[in-house]
Amino acid sequence: MAKHETPLLDQLESGPWPSFVSDLKQEAESRAKNEKNMEYQIPVDAVDDLLGVLELSYKHGRTHWKHGGIVGVFGYGGGVIGRYCDQPEMFPGVAHFHTMRVNQPAGKFYTTEYLNNLCDLWEFRGSGITNMHGSTGDIILIGTETRQLEEVFYELTHTYNQDLGGSGSNLRTPADCIGQARCEYACYDTQAICHELTQEYQDELHRPAFPYKFKFKFDGCPNCCVASIARSDMSYIGTWRDEIRIDAEAVKGYVGGEIPSNAGAHSGRDWGPFDIQKEVIDLCPTGCMIYENDELKINNKECTRCMHCINVMPRALRIGNDRGCSILVGAKAPILDGAQMGSLLVPFIKVEEPYDEIKEVIENVWDWWMEEGKNRERLGELIKRQGFQKLLEMTNIKAVPQHVQEPRSNPYIFWREDEVEGGWERDVVEYRKHHQR
Amino acid sequence: MAFVSSGYNPDKPMENRITDIGPRKYDEFYPEVIAKNKGKWLYHEILDPGVLVHVSETGDEVYTVRVGGARLMSVTHIREICEIADKHCGGHVRFTTRNNIEFMVDNKEKLEPLKNDLKNRKFNGGSLKFPIGGTGAGITNIIHTQGWIHCHTPATDASGTVKAAMDVLYDDFTSMRLPAHLRVSMACCLNMCGAVHCSDIAILGYHRKPPMLDHEYLDKMCEIPLAVSACPTAAIKPAKVKLANGKEVKSVVIKNERCMFCGNCYTMCPSMPLADDVGDGIVLMAGGKVSNRISAPKFSKVVVAFIPNEMPRWPTMTDTIKRMVDVYAKGANKYERFGEWAERIGWERFFDICELDFTHHLIDDFRDPAYYTWRQTSQFKF
Amino acid sequence: MDIEESKKIIVEKLTKKSKTKSKFYLKDFYKMIPDEKPRAVKNLVNQMVKEEILEYWSSGSTTMIGLKGVGKQASAEDEA
Repeated sequence: MAKHETPLLDQLESGPWPSFVSDLKQEAESRAKNEKNMEYQIPVDAVDDLLGVLELSYKHGRTHWKHGGIVGVFGYGGGVIGRYCDQPEMFPGVAHFHTMRVNQPAGKFYTTEYLNNLCDLWEFRGSGITNMHGSTGDIILIGTETRQLEEVFYELTHTYNQDLGGSGSNLRTPADCIGQARCEYACYDTQAICHELTQEYQDELHRPAFPYKFKFKFDGCPNCCVASIARSDMSYIGTWRDEIRIDAEAVKGYVGGEIPSNAGAHSGRDWGPFDIQKEVIDLCPTGCMIYENDELKINNKECTRCMHCINVMPRALRIGNDRGCSILVGAKAPILDGAQMGSLLVPFIKVEEPYDEIKEVIENVWDWWMEEGKNRERLGELIKRQGFQKLLEMTNIKAVPQHVQEPRSNPYIFWREDEVEGGWERDVVEYRKHHQR
Repeated sequence: MAFVSSGYNPDKPMENRITDIGPRKYDEFYPEVIAKNKGKWLYHEILDPGVLVHVSETGDEVYTVRVGGARLMSVTHIREICEIADKHCGGHVRFTTRNNIEFMVDNKEKLEPLKNDLKNRKFNGGSLKFPIGGTGAGITNIIHTQGWIHCHTPATDASGTVKAAMDVLYDDFTSMRLPAHLRVSMACCLNMCGAVHCSDIAILGYHRKPPMLDHEYLDKMCEIPLAVSACPTAAIKPAKVKLANGKEVKSVVIKNERCMFCGNCYTMCPSMPLADDVGDGIVLMAGGKVSNRISAPKFSKVVVAFIPNEMPRWPTMTDTIKRMVDVYAKGANKYERFGEWAERIGWERFFDICELDFTHHLIDDFRDPAYYTWRQTSQFKF
Repeated sequence: MDIEESKKIIVEKLTKKSKTKSKFYLKDFYKMIPDEKPRAVKNLVNQMVKEEILEYWSSGSTTMIGLKGVGKQASAEDEA
């Protein structure tokens, strides 16, 4: 028997898509039954009360949560988000209901042993409700009481060799795409560098180091499956600088219709027979491809590696061999100064252990931002405020045309004195010898 | 309930403390076929919606069945995922960036039993536990934020709006009829902890009323300088305020017209709540993308300024989304993303054929970039 | 940097301001020890948290730092 009536939420149980309401109800029921005879460390009816308070929000059209900032585990500035219910007498099971962020493994592969252990821990010491996963990438454990935070952390670190993720003005938990683990487009090992940088910068991840949050994300190719270019202060996008590898026989297979185009991604509708001219050559943004006499030719020097032709004919075209990544900086969601996309800082860099060159870029950027960034100013906003040229100066990177979409259309170049021959100090007396007042 | 210690000693927090160990190493968790073929994959193919095969240069194959999931997930549900993974996938499972679950098998013969097992599992309320789909030119799972389940500044619910939207879009989750893939994202306030600003379609919760001021308690509960400095637009100023009983107290005043409804002050100060049943609702944005394919990544644009919160299923919102998807499906060229299509036909035509009202709210007036969005040509469509 | 001296300065400055404000951004600490590199001050502040002189306060998106146990948040959060 449910503790609270939930007539509004009940309407979200029908329909084909997995119902979170049904799932919450099954968890509430499981806790009530307690077949394993568990000594639950937070109220047994926590999930019942979670349903109850959510139903109340559906009735009121308003949230019933308050923020808390003090709670956390000792010595860490992030990883825990404090939550309190604003109707604690009605819903005592969720009166104190804090979130913990658990740093996910790169690539989000799991063994069931690991997940089952985590479930056992969270059922025992928390609500048993999670997010798989949060937006940044962490495993999110939703809802436990203050006293349990240290207990959960102790068990995570001692028993499961597992640490928390980041929040606040810290390095946020880095995230990556599936990469070379199962994708032929990946230009570098996203998991390897994601893990290595997460380990290298543990101090920055757990303790506030910066004016605001800082995010790394690793996309193996320009398709950008983890959206690094839109939502990470430093975005690593796989790329190459030699030739797209062509398998001429497979190209014929696509043209002849033996191999499904776009890896079968458009098979739900009859788009007519595959037309390489219309679907590949004409859509190439640089016009660097031709198909004539049954032969595909790519002028690789003009290619901007947009991935379209490779996506359409993955069995015929493959990424080049001289691979690395581009680094773009400053992406962020809108607040405050409007959304920003990442801007290209390093056109090409090799991604090889121990990643020293990449770490140098990171640390130069951080030093500048730590020194100059205002409170709650994201890197992208600092770049806007002080200028892209300043960023180049602070990272010792030489300006190249690849850095811009187009050169400036105003001539207001603020020359520095040391750039102008003879400097700015001049002798007006000497000038007056040739020019009357 | 009796307290059970993990071994942690609250009086000596540093005793035996383990910190800074980071996540588990990814390769502990690879299935054998992945560990063996990492970096050797030749190509892939989508066999059916939600079913992929990747072929390695070693000749190995891995078959993946992708299923949708509510990202809000109980341990009971995760254990069921584990049970399936134990039965069919040698105890391995993977999650995607967009909250899908991927079950992998190394042999085609293992595929049908896995699919049949997944298809037959339903929640008590009738919904599917593991719908197969989310690949290719269709709509995959909606990434989203917490909403009313756990956040203190949401303007709407996240899990509920997503469930309602995915029920309506379900056919496009399980098929691949669209001109290109279409990414829907949801964030429950403008802080966007789920970055939705580059999505084909974005659902965004939005407040429209500045915070209320609980003057009597404000100075007792909050540190006024912190509330003042929390405001990104400097709309909050300290002030002395006279209560109804004539008592003068320290509090704040808000320049309401400067408020951008972010809720940052409420984070710092619980005496400044801003949630409101009438003020809060949904903004719809459209036309963004993150991929560099053909055209550069784009921001989503606001196409509907406000839709009221209609619990529990937000019908006006889901109808509007469904209409946009159907018009796009009919009108766009093969490979054309939502935003590319809207730009090709022109946004004036987009509003026309999607039957959306254009109001002054949709013209940018926020800081410098606004100017670049006004029309500076005589070319336009009637 | 004289560590003990710097700690003393930080505690003094925070105590002086604690009547109106108990939580500070990391940047504010840089100003208290202006001759040091931000990174060194950051490390010192984090060390002082470990020594239970200071504590963190997180808004979720940003982290602030103040004297341990000082301020109105503790009672507002019902964790005092």
